Amino acid sequence: MYLSQLFLNNFRNYSEEYLQFNPNLNLIIGDNAQGKTNLLEAIYLLGTGNSHRTNVNSELVNWEENGFYLKGELIKETQNYKLEIKMQGRSKEIRVNNNKLEKNSDLLGYLNIIIFSPEDLELVKGSPSRRRKFLNLELSQIQPYYKHTLKEYDQVVKQRNQLLKKIRDANAPQEMLEVWDQQLVDLGTKVIVKRLEALEKLKVLARLMQRKLTNGAESLKLQYDSKLNIDGDSSKEEIKTEFSSYIQRKRKKEIERGVTTVGPHRDDISLVVNDVDVRKYGSQGQQRTTALALKLSELEFMKSEIGEYPVLLLDDVFSELDNKRSNYLLETIKNKIQTFITNTNLKRLKELRQNHNIYRIKKGSVTEVN
Amino acid sequence: MDYYARPLAQLIGQLTKLPGIGKKTAQRLAFYIIEMDQAEVNNLANSISEVQENLTYCSKCHNLTQNDPCHICNDPKRNEQLVCVVESVKDIVAMEKTGEYNGLYHVLHGAISPIDGVGPDDIEIKDLLPRVREDEVEEIILATDPNVEGEATAAYISQLMKPLGIKVTRIAHGLPVGGDLEYADEVTLSKALEGRQEIE
Repeated sequence: MYLSQLFLNNFRNYSEEYLQFNPNLNLIIGDNAQGKTNLLEAIYLLGTGNSHRTNVNSELVNWEENGFYLKGELIKETQNYKLEIKMQGRSKEIRVNNNKLEKNSDLLGYLNIIIFSPEDLELVKGSPSRRRKFLNLELSQIQPYYKHTLKEYDQVVKQRNQLLKKIRDANAPQEMLEVWDQQLVDLGTKVIVKRLEALEKLKVLARLMQRKLTNGAESLKLQYDSKLNIDGDSSKEEIKTEFSSYIQRKRKKEIERGVTTVGPHRDDISLVVNDVDVRKYGSQGQQRTTALALKLSELEFMKSEIGEYPVLLLDDVFSELDNKRSNYLLETIKNKIQTFITNTNLKRLKELRQNHNIYRIKKGSVTEVN
Repeated sequence: MDYYARPLAQLIGQLTKLPGIGKKTAQRLAFYIIEMDQAEVNNLANSISEVQENLTYCSKCHNLTQNDPCHICNDPKRNEQLVCVVESVKDIVAMEKTGEYNGLYHVLHGAISPIDGVGPDDIEIKDLLPRVREDEVEEIILATDPNVEGEATAAYISQLMKPLGIKVTRIAHGLPVGGDLEYADEVTLSKALEGRQEIE
């Protein structure tokens, strides 16, 4: 799939721009704070309905304007789509092929996107929530039912936590927990099963990527990291039984603390390189390589799930990667994945022997250079 | 609102307090009311002021009614041994429209939701158990909403009914009828798949 055109109106520091993109490589060059990342953000927004940088919609609107409009033309193997996002005041309206979506989250699944930016180092060394988000966003893009189940699960956790606090303060009987435990275990197990399935595939891909990136020196092991005693071979029934018995055993502790202490909302992915936990003890270089390996395996995973490669956004990553890793990255995407790269200059990108467009960005205006 | 004469501004102000009515709609309604016949205006005003006076809750099923018990509970043709539990009066209307159901109802007026401070004692659950015993109810249909609060409420009631040994059922999550399968959203379709039934 690729984005062939983009129209921006009053988005961030762009007042009006119409761009036509290369199906392969698009280089977005400019000094800092000129609007390179804003352009990637607009593309990301057309894919997910949300910004990767902010939850505050008003930040996306050009100075002294009260709304923005984005339009993209998406070319997929079987069909083309016109994607539109219009923000007016506080309301955001999303259209696909001129039809207004009932829920903005229904946009997920048309334009699949993977973004890689310097902050993605956090994917490796950041908190577990960062890695959960990685799995959640990936699964949500390919399975709408996963997203729905996760939302219901989160709601159950919220309700159950409130109830635990009430029981602690003697405002509710302990038996009321059973009503929520049932849903916690049912929905939680569904989420875990989907994550385990995805991880089984990612595991193999990530190991391969890490080996290639390090000439075979590093071997990466991914594993689902949960307080529950489960792994990729556990059946749905086994997970359910384990989950139920765990919360039964921790009854007293959960009531004392007033929170649900186990389940997919607390789980993590463990990342081990040559028997060392890179999350905590990896060198900066190892962490960078691992983040890149994860992202590249995400590309292949999506391709295997949806049949097409997603669109790749690389925000300022070449300053963070050495020559070898940069070259491997460019080799991987060559002529098969539409990629948008932002950089301050063309230096290392010059040797690219592939079809590409170059855009120069200056103060929110774009010039295509040939 | 300063542009309007005071009585008009007041009416618009009152109308905007209603759910789903913004300033523009309120304005349109107000101008429409100005143009209405005096008799019609009186009818409207009377219906509004009488609605609360003349309505009460059915002591048996908690439906909104003019007479207690309500017309559904009072209907001798209905099956008293079958009770459908719903969250709101609006759900009764929806069920009645089907024309398929001839049992009685029990309106909870809410669902269990700890974050909103709603426990089982805050909704109309407590007289369900005595009712089921006295009327020798044979089946309870749980038709609470298909969200986590509705499911929790259904689970709670089914626990409550366990000692009585009566049949407790939950309405199915399903596909809209008359539509093409290919247009069903993935979530509904996945739920329908989970709740599939063997063909007899």
